[in-house]
Amino acid sequence: MIRFIAKRLGSGVVVLFVVSALTFFLLYMSSGSIARNILGDQATAEQVALKEQELGLDQPLVVRYFAWVGDALTGNLGASWFTSEPVANSLASRIPVTMTMVFTAMILIAICAALIGVAAAVKRGWVDRAVQVGAIIGDSVPGFVIGVILVTVLAIQLGLFPATSTISPDSGADAWVYSMSLPVIALLINGVTGGAQQIRSAVIKQLERDYVRTLRSRGIGEREILFKHVLRSSAPAGLTVLSLQLIGMLGGVVIIEQIFALPGMGPLAVTATTQTDLPVVMGVVMYTVVVVIVVNLLVDILNGWLNPKVRVS
Amino acid sequence: MKLGPKAAATALTVSAALALTACGGTANSGPAAAAATALTIGTIQDVRSWDPAQAHVGHVLQPYQAVYDTLILREPDGKLSPMLATEWKYNEANTKLTVDLRTDVTFSDGAKFDAEAAKANMDHFKKANGPQMAQLASVSDVAVVDADTIDINLSTPDPALEYFLSQAAGLMGSPKALGSEGIKTEPAGSGPYVMDKAASVKDSQTVFNARKDYWNKDLQKYQKLTFKILADITARTNALVSGQVDATILDPKTGKQAEGAKMKLAANEVDWQGLLLLDRDGAKNPALKDVKVRQAINYAFDRKTILDQVMLGQGTPTSQPFGKASGAWTEELENHYSYDPAKAKQLLKEAGYENGLTLEIPAVPNFETQISVVKQQLADVGITLNVGAALTNTFTSDVAAQKYTTMYFSLFQGEPTVAINQIISTKALYNPFKNANPELDAKIEAVRAGGADAGKLAQDVNKYVVEQAWFAPLFRVNQMYYHNSKVDVTPQIQQAVPSIYNYSPAK
Repeated sequence: MIRFIAKRLGSGVVVLFVVSALTFFLLYMSSGSIARNILGDQATAEQVALKEQELGLDQPLVVRYFAWVGDALTGNLGASWFTSEPVANSLASRIPVTMTMVFTAMILIAICAALIGVAAAVKRGWVDRAVQVGAIIGDSVPGFVIGVILVTVLAIQLGLFPATSTISPDSGADAWVYSMSLPVIALLINGVTGGAQQIRSAVIKQLERDYVRTLRSRGIGEREILFKHVLRSSAPAGLTVLSLQLIGMLGGVVIIEQIFALPGMGPLAVTATTQTDLPVVMGVVMYTVVVVIVVNLLVDILNGWLNPKVRVS
Repeated sequence: MKLGPKAAATALTVSAALALTACGGTANSGPAAAAATALTIGTIQDVRSWDPAQAHVGHVLQPYQAVYDTLILREPDGKLSPMLATEWKYNEANTKLTVDLRTDVTFSDGAKFDAEAAKANMDHFKKANGPQMAQLASVSDVAVVDADTIDINLSTPDPALEYFLSQAAGLMGSPKALGSEGIKTEPAGSGPYVMDKAASVKDSQTVFNARKDYWNKDLQKYQKLTFKILADITARTNALVSGQVDATILDPKTGKQAEGAKMKLAANEVDWQGLLLLDRDGAKNPALKDVKVRQAINYAFDRKTILDQVMLGQGTPTSQPFGKASGAWTEELENHYSYDPAKAKQLLKEAGYENGLTLEIPAVPNFETQISVVKQQLADVGITLNVGAALTNTFTSDVAAQKYTTMYFSLFQGEPTVAINQIISTKALYNPFKNANPELDAKIEAVRAGGADAGKLAQDVNKYVVEQAWFAPLFRVNQMYYHNSKVDVTPQIQQAVPSIYNYSPAK
């Protein structure tokens, strides 16, 4: 198992390196004159030249990349071109907000999707049809539309939640819970329907397999078959779906955070991209890649634990 | 343990009594609570750096005003009043501005404001390469005359200098903190408020508390001031309607929703929108060299209808790029180009383009509707508008590199010299082909040397660019600033959002 994890970690580092190089060169080659963008439309040519020098933009691209890699290895991701704030600090203050939201949503999605998916697979009939219809609706309505509806009804009309985030250092845990509720519900509705549909299919597939028939013929109870055997065999498919949802959620969360004005990674990514604040964009990309690698690694480990055959392959 | 009816009745009575006491308590503390007023403003973006030399203008100036005083105060109507400067006077040649300063002001870190501090700020501003560094471009040096007087020496006269001293260039930070790392994240000024760093979150909210013993209590109308950063317009609308912020900037469409929730509008025309016909010498598009073609473009637009349909009527149709408050604005230029497609066709025919011509313009994010209407109306007179790739976020360098011969844009209408420096002079970004001629140069020169008459002299520049059809302005647009009934707001001339001094608890 340790060798298996080490191998996966090794390939993760390679992916990180390749993505950083590709992103860096593509971004920096296509970004135009950023100095003028920073200084605004009143800036003179001399000011622009001075700014380029300050930012090191007069250096060759390869030199800049290796300088960036060297710094990044020591944990220094540079500083924002617009605010001079260290990128590592920006990420550190925002990752907890985004990750709290994403992980809360994921745990709830996993529980709800598993319950609904298994119920649909076992009961079939109207429950199954309702889940299938729900999956289509959930997949076709974007999370931000659900977010806007939730704000309009629950925040503005009923006043149950704040319309935008109230998270601040002086607000207590209840402010966190209130501020996070609507964004998490928006993410949840989107995720549960799709997840339940996938888990339903996986469970049905298992229920139709020979070993289940054999177990039944031995007189083992349906409950035991379901919880001891079918669920364990369906788990890898469910985990894969959930991991894909989590990765997909990193994109959806950007818009949700904008709508709810949550100080997470979303607004940082949007501002950095629209301003072409490349050190920050690089930081956001690296963070996303690391999350994707870690999630995939965890899913692989869990799958390996559930199914020893995976470790061998 | 089960409660009997008696116990339940007692519990109910006790709770009711407690509740009543609580209510009574609230009522008694009413007047005290009213004194501790708080204002929350919804704003579009956080400041980049609290270093006053990195301050910006327009809606980004507001947070700096909370912590930094300016040398000169700009009143809502544009009049310049004393602030840290008590008096200021030009010499005969308009090349030296002598400024008298207050002597009773200290900064939040204990440093004293005096002539040396003012000089330190202006010197720092000149070399810090901030986004508004051009504001002090005409200043050659600042000399300390005595403890409360400075001489600002100019290399060339600059009629906008006094205005700039009420903006970014006039913000005064503590000389102890200038140039330090600390001032980037925590401001040190002499302003009415001090930042509550513990309660502030970057890009989420910035909280300020009223500064004790602030020298001008009239400008300090709240005990607590919060800027809530809401980049998304839906978030701003929701925050205003649900009472999370007291005031914020919206647009005509979201404004309808705010009006539905009984929010009040403080409208103010700040920008103009229209076409910039940049290639006036025909370097890349020969058709644009002919003034008749440029005038034909101007006659092609039914400005009123476009404004009503696209901007829900929020603004005023115009043919001139200079704003109403600039002094360069004149009534007769307002409708210089009326909607006259027949005349447009006639002019195109005279210019030899009766078979049509083609203009290339970039797509501008958020202006898609306007561009499609403009395209339709130009097509009606025989001009084809080819809409190309969208402007990228580094479009300023593309503009400077003469990539666009024509573009649709929204531009700020500031003081006359500010506008000239932005769109007309050969140094202006929005004159990338550096179009010029001696007649116009002389008019611009007259404005620069014009001192107090600069605005009036700029009317000649305005008339020239309108008659020569350098642009095809469509309308001045209303900035839709909304607030709730707890606050009175006075719009600030030439600013999308009001200065912080313009808010007060509702009477």
